[in-house]
Amino acid sequence: MNRVWMDLVTPGFCGMGMHLQLDGFRLVYCAVAVLMWTVSGIFSREYMAHYANRRRYYIFFWATFAATVGVFLSANLFTTFIFFEIMSFTSYVWVAFDERSASLKAAETYLAVAVIGGMVMLMGLFLLYDLFGTLEIDAVSVLADAVMNGSRQAGNLPESVWTGKTSGGFFATAKAQLYTAGALMLFGFGAKAGCFPLHIWLPKAHPEAPAPASALLSGILTKTGVFGIIVVSCGLFGSDHSWGLLIAALGLVTMFVGALLAVFSINLKRTLACSSISQIGFILTGIGMACLLRSIGEGNSLAVRGAFLHMVNHSLFKLVLFLCAGAVYMNLHQLDLNEIRGFGRHKPALMFAFLMGALGIGGIPLWNGYVSKTLIHESIVEYMEAVGGPWIWHLAEWVFLFTGGMTVAYMLKLFLAVFVEKNTDPEKQRRYDEMCSGSVRKRMNGGSGETAARKGSEAAHSYMRPETTAALVAAAAILPVLGLTAHQTMDRIADLGQEFFHVQGHTHQVAYLSLGNLKGGAISICIGVILYLAVIRGLLTEKDGAGNRRYVDRWPAWLDLENLVYRPVLQVALPAVGGAVFGFLDRYLVPASTAAFLAVSTFVGRVLDSAVDGVVRFARLTTHKQVPAEREPHDSNLIAHVVGGAADAVAAFLNGLPWNRQKAAAQKSAAARQGAGLEPDGQLQRPARESVTDRLVRREERFRDNMRVIQESFSYGLMLVCVGLCVTLIYLVWGFLGR
Amino acid sequence: MYDRLLAVPVFLPIAGGAALLAMSGWIRRDKQERIMQWLVEALVLVNSLLMAWLIAGCGGVSGGRVLFRLYGQLTVMFRLDRMGSFFAGLVAFLWPLATLYAFEYMEHEERRPAFFAFYTISYGVTLGVALAGNLVTMYLFYEMLTFATFPLVMHPMTTEAARATRQYLYYSIGGAAFAFIGLVTVLSFSAVGTTEFVAGGMIDPAAAAEHKNLLLFVYVLAFFGFGVKAAVFPLHDWLPKAAVAPTPVTALLHAVAVVKSGAFAVLRFTYFSFGTELLRGTWAQWVAMAAALVTITYASTMAVKEVHFKRRLAYSTISNLSYILFGATMMSPLGLAAALIHLLAHAFMKISAFFCAGAVMHRTGKTYIYELDGMGYRMPVTFACFTISSLSLMGIPLFAGFISKWNLCEAALRLGGEMSGGAGGPVGRVLPYIGVAVILYSALMTGIYMLTVVVRAYFPGIIGKVKGSAAGEPEEEEASAGKPAAREASAGKPTARESVAGKSASAESSVNQDPSWRMLLPLVIFAVVIVAVGIHAGPVLRYLALIGGEAG
Repeated sequence: MNRVWMDLVTPGFCGMGMHLQLDGFRLVYCAVAVLMWTVSGIFSREYMAHYANRRRYYIFFWATFAATVGVFLSANLFTTFIFFEIMSFTSYVWVAFDERSASLKAAETYLAVAVIGGMVMLMGLFLLYDLFGTLEIDAVSVLADAVMNGSRQAGNLPESVWTGKTSGGFFATAKAQLYTAGALMLFGFGAKAGCFPLHIWLPKAHPEAPAPASALLSGILTKTGVFGIIVVSCGLFGSDHSWGLLIAALGLVTMFVGALLAVFSINLKRTLACSSISQIGFILTGIGMACLLRSIGEGNSLAVRGAFLHMVNHSLFKLVLFLCAGAVYMNLHQLDLNEIRGFGRHKPALMFAFLMGALGIGGIPLWNGYVSKTLIHESIVEYMEAVGGPWIWHLAEWVFLFTGGMTVAYMLKLFLAVFVEKNTDPEKQRRYDEMCSGSVRKRMNGGSGETAARKGSEAAHSYMRPETTAALVAAAAILPVLGLTAHQTMDRIADLGQEFFHVQGHTHQVAYLSLGNLKGGAISICIGVILYLAVIRGLLTEKDGAGNRRYVDRWPAWLDLENLVYRPVLQVALPAVGGAVFGFLDRYLVPASTAAFLAVSTFVGRVLDSAVDGVVRFARLTTHKQVPAEREPHDSNLIAHVVGGAADAVAAFLNGLPWNRQKAAAQKSAAARQGAGLEPDGQLQRPARESVTDRLVRREERFRDNMRVIQESFSYGLMLVCVGLCVTLIYLVWGFLGR
Repeated sequence: MYDRLLAVPVFLPIAGGAALLAMSGWIRRDKQERIMQWLVEALVLVNSLLMAWLIAGCGGVSGGRVLFRLYGQLTVMFRLDRMGSFFAGLVAFLWPLATLYAFEYMEHEERRPAFFAFYTISYGVTLGVALAGNLVTMYLFYEMLTFATFPLVMHPMTTEAARATRQYLYYSIGGAAFAFIGLVTVLSFSAVGTTEFVAGGMIDPAAAAEHKNLLLFVYVLAFFGFGVKAAVFPLHDWLPKAAVAPTPVTALLHAVAVVKSGAFAVLRFTYFSFGTELLRGTWAQWVAMAAALVTITYASTMAVKEVHFKRRLAYSTISNLSYILFGATMMSPLGLAAALIHLLAHAFMKISAFFCAGAVMHRTGKTYIYELDGMGYRMPVTFACFTISSLSLMGIPLFAGFISKWNLCEAALRLGGEMSGGAGGPVGRVLPYIGVAVILYSALMTGIYMLTVVVRAYFPGIIGKVKGSAAGEPEEEEASAGKPAAREASAGKPTARESVAGKSASAESSVNQDPSWRMLLPLVIFAVVIVAVGIHAGPVLRYLALIGGEAG
């Protein structure tokens, strides 16, 4: 049974608690993580020496280490998710590190995939939690088994799973919900693993990140995704046939697409990145076969062990290979195969490391990759035999072998280009050769001297520092050692890890170097060599003017899933739809409805208002047609004339009085002092008084006009009614009192 | 005794603010102003401490006390219950810090005494909403809040500000009219004859059964009425416009006090007046929930389109407020608890984000997002806090936002499970699941609109590099960028060159534009709270579960 060395529960962490566990699988992967971070840490010391903000790199380097180990240790999907998200964000900084526009774009892709993947996974976790009320990996897999098999005997299954879930809710059955949850989680984990439709970030992000970071991204960060897929596939759907088919199909497609991209790529790190996709496909195929074999009741230990060992192996290959690429980049700041061609000549340490990685990943017998690939291949054959061998499984086997061949082909291409062929530019080749050892002197001359001088000064201590070389070679040496002592080392590793996959049936020792197994390897190698000669030599290179073969990128530029599908959908279609809908709402609908409301209410108000006026106006137009009234002459304003004349007389009399006459004289002299040009001040100098008669006449005119308007208006009518009412009231009261 | 003292924290800031307003004509010189500032801070702090003492003293629950009677059953009454304590405590925690921040921020602004007067008055009024013991009181303070805060929006006195203010007033007063209908209906259908809040609702069941559709219609009206302040979709437009106000206002009032009062009022109205028994599974619930979901989708999409820093945050606020309303409309104990935890988390996240935006505006005058290239190195502390609040808003684990979103989704799925039996009709069966999807969509959008800011600040890219920011560049480029050839020749040791590169980089990044401690202290405290709640949310969640248990 699964042996657990450590079990750590921290309740309340982030609301739901944290559960870490150390069993065989996790132990192996923590060891791999420690190894990888140590080696790439040593490598980083040299690689990052010339970057100004190394501190940022190292902070995120170790933060990601912690998060990655957290993912592998987690025994609870909630904990997994927490560390997974932290890891996504801290590793983002690696990709964006260079801050060139290409890096930022790659980082954007990486982040987008990580965030979307994380969100989708979270949705899956919600559904799972809703279904089972727990996210403990062990508990969930027991419960899921019960749901999948439709057996109620699992005692601790909450009754809610059965009640209410079958009466036609959003999910018709608990099984449907479980499938949905699984698919969503598969999406999330698959995005990180680089599974087929979501592999887009790998070829972009890996070439841009610093090499030690690429090694980790490819070697182990993708494995956190695989970890999740294992939990989902083997834990939740371990015995489900259709799920196994899905995973196996995804794996086969991924492995093929990745290898195809790698064959076409002419960039060192990009090739390796595409190769990662392909190798993840191998692992997924193994996991899928494990599910399939278990679903038909066969022992699935071959598939499980193959998948697990290939995970470990791939981590180790990619560590070595990416660090070799880093050694190239650190010296040349170039990754294009035509530029770096011939760099590896006369550099035995680098060549050894790269060769070990290439042989390992190519599945050459005696190296570790062969062992794991053989196991996965055997599992396909085993399943094919068990189900009676329909043609589709023959096809699957051949896809597998052919992809193995492509792996050999593209590694051969890389190896020959970097380590065997000479650069087409002899000057470059000479410089590359000079970097090989400490015996080279600085060269200071004009022309290409500037770069040469700088490279020369670095080459004074060779292309790699001794400690870096040592670390790289040691890491590379692990691969053949594992391969050679497969039964002593790799089998034991597999024994440790296989329980995590819910392995079924018992393990039998596989003679890796038996004839039957060697045959598969040999077929792949043959395909690889033929592919290399026919396709890569023949189709993917061309002769330039000087008769030298150059590698050309024949992959059609438009055929890029990201630019073809995802970016248009996410950046054009979604914003176009969402933005248009909401922009429309915001710009037109809301103001329009406000305006419409205002217009309607204004209209209603106006109508009510003018309904009354309208009556008046109608009357004025018809029955009360206005006859222009005769202007009464001024003379007829008798009262005004009498009163006004009297007032004028009084005023004249008052002004004539002696004391007032003095005042008037003083006012006059003050006005004279002020000067004629100045604006007379109102307080000091009043304007000459007009006749009171005139004012009264004007006022009377205005009063009459007003009265006329009032009389014509509706309110006047109302007022009259009121007055009438009052009079009536008074009359009634009077009558009442008088009685 | 405590219930008698409850009126003090409400009226003390109002009186203080009024006094300040009366005296604002005399405050002319710097010295007087400094004294004024310390007095204001002292007043706010004392008030917060008093509030804390009241909450702690009675364990969060006290008997009600009728202050005075308006007419008949319309009484002004203060009472402390768990939910009120929660909101009051939150407000009391934030206000002194925000005031401290405002002192520095307002240095460049005019009419400071009037600003601080209204700022302080708003404090009292917000506490009034929190401590209100019945619907009438809450309605009164809710209306008062509109009038206490509109001078703050108008503060810049530009045409834009005047327009925003007018819109704010129209929307708020209009909304309150609908809320008033709710108030009257509750009063006439109340089982106890008053509008006092009762956990689980107080509508007379017999009367409710008779007039169910009328009541539901009134509920929807009141939801949108109170929802105006919580910026529910068709009535949201005032909030982005109000971003013209000084940042302390946008941060504290338009991310916490005013808008959360709206959400709080919806919670009170739903869980303590109408009661969930009446509403659960009805069309009114689905209308309200759909409105919240539309708002979330709408606002998070619009935030991506917006390039003005503060307006983008304002759109984000709209979407996050509807998270709370989404929780509120679940009409379940879990939903209430989730709404409250998001109320708490969002308060800290958004005030922190706004304060960062304000710090940037204050120190550099930059207001658009595309101007922020490389700011992360010039204002390290500010942008560290901003990063924390961004990640938290996205709902990344370890931060408070994750806890709240997790709880919301959990509650939604639980609701979906309950409704799947057919209790909620065809809409109710699907809507909670759509809600979860909407929340995740919004999280994605949040990722886009918040992280673009963070990425610009820390990875200015090629543009920032040309300008000479502290972006890390390989030695090669630095060397080819015109370093003297003589040094090239002599620089045999990489370490020497490297240290030169390092020094020049550090010299460039050493132009530290972080604001002074008065701005940084609140920011750092908020960031710490976000992380603390994110990592150890247990006690808060337990307290909120109690509220959910009694009212849901």
